[in-house]
Amino acid sequence: MTAALLLLTLSQPFAAAGPAAECRALAHRGRNIEAQNCFSALVRRPDAWARAEGLWGLGRYREANDEFRRAVAERPRDPDCRVRWGRLLLERFNPGEAAELFQEALQLRKDHPGALVGLALVAAEGFEQKAVGLAERALAADPGAIEARVLLARMALEDGDAVRAVQEADRALAAWPEALEAMAIRAAVEWLEDREPSAWIQRALAVHPRYGRIYAVGARFLVLNRRYEDGVRLYRKAVELDPALWDVRSELGLNLMRLGRDAEARRELELAYENGYRNAATVNALRLLDSARNFLLLDAGRFTLKLHRKEAAWLRPYVEQEATRALATFEKKYGVTLKEPVRIELYPDHEDFAVRTLGMPGLGALGVTFERAVAMDSPTARKPGTFHWAGTLWHELNHVVVLAAVNNRAPRWFVEGLAVWEETQASPEWGERLTPDVIAAIRDRKLLPVAQLDRGFVRPSYPGQVVVSYFQAGKLCEYIASQWGFDALRRMLRAFGERKTTPEVVREVLALPPEELDRRFQSWLDGQLRRTLEGFPVWRERMKRLAEAARAGRHDEVIREGPAVRDLYPEYVEAGSAYELLAGAYLATGDKEAARQELERYARAGGRDPALLRQLAELEATSGRKREAVAALERLLYVAPGDEEVHRRLGDLLLELGEAEQAIREYRAVLALGPSDVAAAHYHLARACRAARRLEEAREHVLAALEAAPGYRPAQKLLLELTP
Amino acid sequence: MRAWLVALLALPVQAATYWVVLAGLGGESDYEQRFSAWAHEAEKLVRGSTGEVHVSTLAGKDATAERIRALFADLARRVRPEDSFVLLLIGHGTFDGYQYKFNIPGPDLSGEDLAALLDRITATRQLVVNTTSASGASVETLRKPGRIVITATKSGMEKNATVFARYWIEALRDPAADTDKNETVSALEAFRYASQRTARFYESQRRLATEHPLLEDTGQGGGVRSPAPEEGSGRLAAAFPLVRFGRAQAAARDPARRALLARKEELEQKIDLLKYQKAAMDSAEYRKQLTALLVELARVNEELEK
Repeated sequence: MTAALLLLTLSQPFAAAGPAAECRALAHRGRNIEAQNCFSALVRRPDAWARAEGLWGLGRYREANDEFRRAVAERPRDPDCRVRWGRLLLERFNPGEAAELFQEALQLRKDHPGALVGLALVAAEGFEQKAVGLAERALAADPGAIEARVLLARMALEDGDAVRAVQEADRALAAWPEALEAMAIRAAVEWLEDREPSAWIQRALAVHPRYGRIYAVGARFLVLNRRYEDGVRLYRKAVELDPALWDVRSELGLNLMRLGRDAEARRELELAYENGYRNAATVNALRLLDSARNFLLLDAGRFTLKLHRKEAAWLRPYVEQEATRALATFEKKYGVTLKEPVRIELYPDHEDFAVRTLGMPGLGALGVTFERAVAMDSPTARKPGTFHWAGTLWHELNHVVVLAAVNNRAPRWFVEGLAVWEETQASPEWGERLTPDVIAAIRDRKLLPVAQLDRGFVRPSYPGQVVVSYFQAGKLCEYIASQWGFDALRRMLRAFGERKTTPEVVREVLALPPEELDRRFQSWLDGQLRRTLEGFPVWRERMKRLAEAARAGRHDEVIREGPAVRDLYPEYVEAGSAYELLAGAYLATGDKEAARQELERYARAGGRDPALLRQLAELEATSGRKREAVAALERLLYVAPGDEEVHRRLGDLLLELGEAEQAIREYRAVLALGPSDVAAAHYHLARACRAARRLEEAREHVLAALEAAPGYRPAQKLLLELTP
Repeated sequence: MRAWLVALLALPVQAATYWVVLAGLGGESDYEQRFSAWAHEAEKLVRGSTGEVHVSTLAGKDATAERIRALFADLARRVRPEDSFVLLLIGHGTFDGYQYKFNIPGPDLSGEDLAALLDRITATRQLVVNTTSASGASVETLRKPGRIVITATKSGMEKNATVFARYWIEALRDPAADTDKNETVSALEAFRYASQRTARFYESQRRLATEHPLLEDTGQGGGVRSPAPEEGSGRLAAAFPLVRFGRAQAAARDPARRALLARKEELEQKIDLLKYQKAAMDSAEYRKQLTALLVELARVNEELEK
């Protein structure tokens, strides 16, 4: 059972259909011994379906599965039996086969409500928009379908629509006053609004005295709203009340791991695992915890850094510098001082980061914040040039500060929007790019109204909507800052902290109805991007011709046409951009200065191809612009910091510019990267140390250079200079 | 490693090195161009680096079995036992489970064909650098006492196009490959350099490595990925100079400097010996002795430069 399925247990009236209705009614009321006896009696029945239900109720899942297979063979025209089997598979981590059974049931009986609910649950697991339609179809087929009603309530609350969640839960309760899951939704709404739902807890416990799931459901919604500490507190209460909630223990373990409390997390996950709860997330998380020995925990003042052993030595100074800079910036801007250290974890294997975050591989994100803990891909987790690690670190640290400022109470669009916008404030070269997907969404008027923007993050309705929503949220914050000033954003944040809704905050701070904000924003955005939006189709066509000219070596044509093509869509800096083609054509015709200028434009537009940035650095250096060459190489540190040659070249330039301390850092990185030429690495570090008047260190390193290569003449000369 | 290099530097200076560079079929124009460019770059680098070097290159359509055999027949007459011989193979290789083949226009050359050609060369010191795909399968047929065999892949099952050649050639021009800074890039240094760069290439591209280079110079093994002369593998390779630059060559030819050179070599051997004793020594004492030897060596070199 996954977190989402925590909501729906065996107790629904739907499940009342079939041979186990009586047993499940007992379980629903917490009469566990009687329920167990009842399930045991089912196991002795001649009917395979009854045996399957009995075995399932006793937790003998594999045997139950076998019996269901027999039962379906015995009842080839019975959709109910198939739905029940599907529910077993869904509960036991096999949504794919479960969905097939629900589909088969629908073929046997069109609009079978149980099958529709089953499919809705599968879709809801993946936060798919179609889950809502399926649940509504189930209700149309059977207005008494409590599960469908509760599912609609749950999805409304996931989308941040507490009003609808309450309405749906109340309708479920009106139909069945003992609907525990509906009570859990009502309690969750209370917790989200910082009220203790004593009445709902009392009412649920009157039905089922050990109904720990009421806390688990609340915990899940708090976690979805980034309130991990509060979520953990409720998960603990759930297992205190019912210690055998193994799926809840797994969730507790995963969330403890998110908060960096690995030892406690392991205890809970192992308990779940040892008691048969072995879903992929539990197993993955335990495996990841086993790999802890590959990481170092480093105390860095206001930060605790968790870095992989193989890269900690060279990566640490850069991470520490950016983290310090980001935290100081944000604390000042948002008027917050964090009391506890921030934990920053970098994973060189993206799937480890995904497991750390979700318990499952396949996460698309680059970084995630869990209150005071940030987990993200290490720069080495992705191909050089494809990941701006510092931008992601700033983004996540913005979450840490902003969420601390409002005790984690702010809508997703605002939190993400601020973080995206702040990336561009750190440097205009950072941040989200205007991709063709985003252009298409703007052109096709697919941006969501601000009051519904969270939905674009949680339950996207078209591929790429999450990326579009990040872009929109970032631009919205940019627009607000440009029209009302940064203080308006701060006031909005404060208002969100007071638990006001987006429409309330927009009205209060910006003195506008949200619809008017949407209208003005769209108009501002259209104005800002008009040229690109209008020129996009032309750009595509002309870009194709430009690429053909470049391939054919028609450099004059590239040089003639390139600038106009580039300016139609200047944000396009991906492979084969007009900048790249132009720079290549200039170089081919011997015009290094024009190539240098073009590559500078490329870098300023956010271009990140390591080969092009290296080329820029060399052109800058050979034209005597050492400072600019340093700037080009420093850009590379953000997108390809594991390249030994970049650090060495940067060290050389910094040393030439008299910045010995900075050069030391770069040469140290070379050494920590395990260079093929160890002697040269020590020698260069020795030179930098001498320039910084660190003579003892210089001597250490020159000796190390000569130990590796005794005949190394430059090092010999330096040794003699350093020898009295 | 230096102990063997010292032996290398004492070799008769009139000995020559013969290189044969073969770039086989590319199959696609991109590969054709790449292989040919690598072959000609290797030739250029080798020609420009040392004293008596002879390089013969056959690339693309010229690299037929007939022309290769004719070239080897000619070299078999010219190369003397005291000379060194290097064969560099660039291109695609195949392995059908039984036999390795180097892909060239017309009939391919098998590992056995190549071994037969090499056996006609009388040079006692031979190096074969087979950078093709599936080249690991050629180790067994090419190995022989006195011959170093380097391959881009660890077996015949690594069949994807390789990048090892690119980094092997880079080692001939990058001073960073000369890790002991004796102004000579040995076959072992080039192997280590190219292996490391190849591994990094795959790491940085986030691609599964499809080539794992091997070195075999004992005449009897299957090749190793991390040769260690102190353990027996890589000794011949450490003593096989690929390119020399600067003073090393000049000093050896000047009788007036022979005494200084002898002192230099004596100090280098002492340093080597001291490094081998490091683990058993008190660290302060080790450092003291090392520093003294290094300072003296630096002074001798200073004298040599005057």
